[in-house]
Amino acid sequence: MKTLLQYELRKLFSKRLTQVTLIGLLLLSVLLGFSSYHNMYAFDGKSREGTGRTAVEIDKSVAEKYEGILTDKKVQQMMTEFQTTRDLHGMNAAYLYQNALQSSLFCRFSDLNGGWNGLSVSDVFGKEEIRIGYTYGWLKTSKNMVRIIVVLSFVIAILVAPVFSGEYGGVDNIILTSKYGKTKCVTAKIIGSILAALMVTSAVLAINLADAFIRYGSSGLDCSILFAPADFATEYIPFNITCGTLLKYQILLAFTSTISITGITLAASAVCKNQMAALAASAAIYIFPIMLPVSETSSLFKIVALLPPYHAQFVSLMSVEQISGNVLYALMAVPVALIFMGIGAFISRRIFVKHQVS
Amino acid sequence: MELKTIGLTKKFGSKTAVNDLNLTLTNGVYGLLGANGAGKTTLMRLLCSIQSPTSGKIVLNGKNIAGLGEKYRTLLGYLPQSFGYYPDFTALDFLLYVSALKGLNEKNARKTSKELLEAVGLSAESRHKIKTFSGGMKQRLGIAQAMLGDPRILIFDEPTAGLDPKERVHFRNLISAFARNRIVILSTHIVSDVEFIAEEIIMMKSGQMIHFGKPQEITSEMDGQVWECMVPSAYAEKYAASFHTSNLRNTDRGETILRIISDRPPMENAVRVQPNLEDFYLFYFKGDTEE
Repeated sequence: MKTLLQYELRKLFSKRLTQVTLIGLLLLSVLLGFSSYHNMYAFDGKSREGTGRTAVEIDKSVAEKYEGILTDKKVQQMMTEFQTTRDLHGMNAAYLYQNALQSSLFCRFSDLNGGWNGLSVSDVFGKEEIRIGYTYGWLKTSKNMVRIIVVLSFVIAILVAPVFSGEYGGVDNIILTSKYGKTKCVTAKIIGSILAALMVTSAVLAINLADAFIRYGSSGLDCSILFAPADFATEYIPFNITCGTLLKYQILLAFTSTISITGITLAASAVCKNQMAALAASAAIYIFPIMLPVSETSSLFKIVALLPPYHAQFVSLMSVEQISGNVLYALMAVPVALIFMGIGAFISRRIFVKHQVS
Repeated sequence: MELKTIGLTKKFGSKTAVNDLNLTLTNGVYGLLGANGAGKTTLMRLLCSIQSPTSGKIVLNGKNIAGLGEKYRTLLGYLPQSFGYYPDFTALDFLLYVSALKGLNEKNARKTSKELLEAVGLSAESRHKIKTFSGGMKQRLGIAQAMLGDPRILIFDEPTAGLDPKERVHFRNLISAFARNRIVILSTHIVSDVEFIAEEIIMMKSGQMIHFGKPQEITSEMDGQVWECMVPSAYAEKYAASFHTSNLRNTDRGETILRIISDRPPMENAVRVQPNLEDFYLFYFKGDTEE
């Protein structure tokens, strides 16, 4: 079994198309990480401003002063510090960006002109205890990772598509007449596909997280995602969880997405006689839920959001419901992924073993 | 060991590829002859259990192979007509992979694979990728993979396709040496290959078995019906078209020797000759479409 598994992994990773797409995915990760880092801008409100590394340093030093639980007193101190002196020419101050902390503050506590809007912390966040700090780097990383995980899903489909369909070119004759061709070999193919998919996902996530850790450090991981800059404030996850928890969920959902697409692709691979057809079929099945005319406000969305594409594009699924504390409805993605995998494994095994060689 | 087909039938829609075939095979080499579309490949696939019969069954020592599963497949070695492979695997890797599929332990697999590569003349290329191989080399690799694991039932579908004459002779010798205490079934269009090594000939036409017997028994049915006659080369084609002609051979004297199958002497100078399997094949399959 071990030997068969090794051969299956070797077959999966020796395909030129797979190698090219894996390199492409790696480049995308590097490019997104690099561009978002270098596009970061910060101004401390006095004399220092910059992009990239300087911006991160400014953001961190500004956030350091107010680290801890957000209070009304801190809101007032920050409003004073970031009070705008220039003419906004009619622009809503909520969209003014000097640095990450200022943006987080203004989009919730400023009026149109940059003055205090009169709201207290409890008016904005209710009874939630909001821990603030430097979260911008990790939030940006999370946002980039959504794109990467969506692309990763298609890379997994490319990786797994030839597992069965690639054998229909003639090797199936040999496999199915061999002792373990209808038993251990098929099991090795399924386990090999899952392992390969998990390995690729782990590697991609590890690279992105390591890259972010090097750039932003661990600061902010224990801070709330609710006190985030303007580009995260709207249409983002409305629950008081920390950046660390957000990333943990994102990692979990990346794996459930991978497991789901692996299951779908295995089934398509066994059904289709060539790998391009298998790839097209699995991609179509994967993205189908996005095409459904179900709005996020519909009660049906709670079910639709559990389907694989929403695992990768995780914000909608994460926003469905907070069961308690750090326990979100998004956890339901785990059994859903296992169901997809189970169905995929069952269908692919049955079809491959029973198929009439032609 | 006895492999038996009982009322074996395979239909593809309205087409019957194998029709009510009753056949008993014991240890020995069997040559399967028939034009394309005769049902040879389908029969082989049914025997390999990679196609299911529409009706009838195949039994090994009295047990239906459909219920034997791994026990039956352990006994099988198969070279399909279109042999699939992994282009990026080396010859040795491919044999090691097939060994793993056949359940050979790693040490034994390596030893056997190397021996078989040597036997089919590929030991020097054992580390070369299969995508660099010629058609004949791939076919020899296919033969080697079929022989892995010492199978008791060996099924070769067109094993000599793509092999040059020297390789064909080598293959025949290899099979002859390997065939003892085994059931070996091979189909080919090259009648002489079957004639040299097969102990029994199975002739198929339109999904049915039309002859089963030793080559000599089969050819003896045509005793007195094969003639050779010499005609001027200028008229050779005209004569050939008028009779069942199995061969034309030009001499250096401007004459052509025709080998003709006929009940009566086709012309005055005709000389009766010993029939061979090719005469028999051409007589029965004249007019059948070659795909």
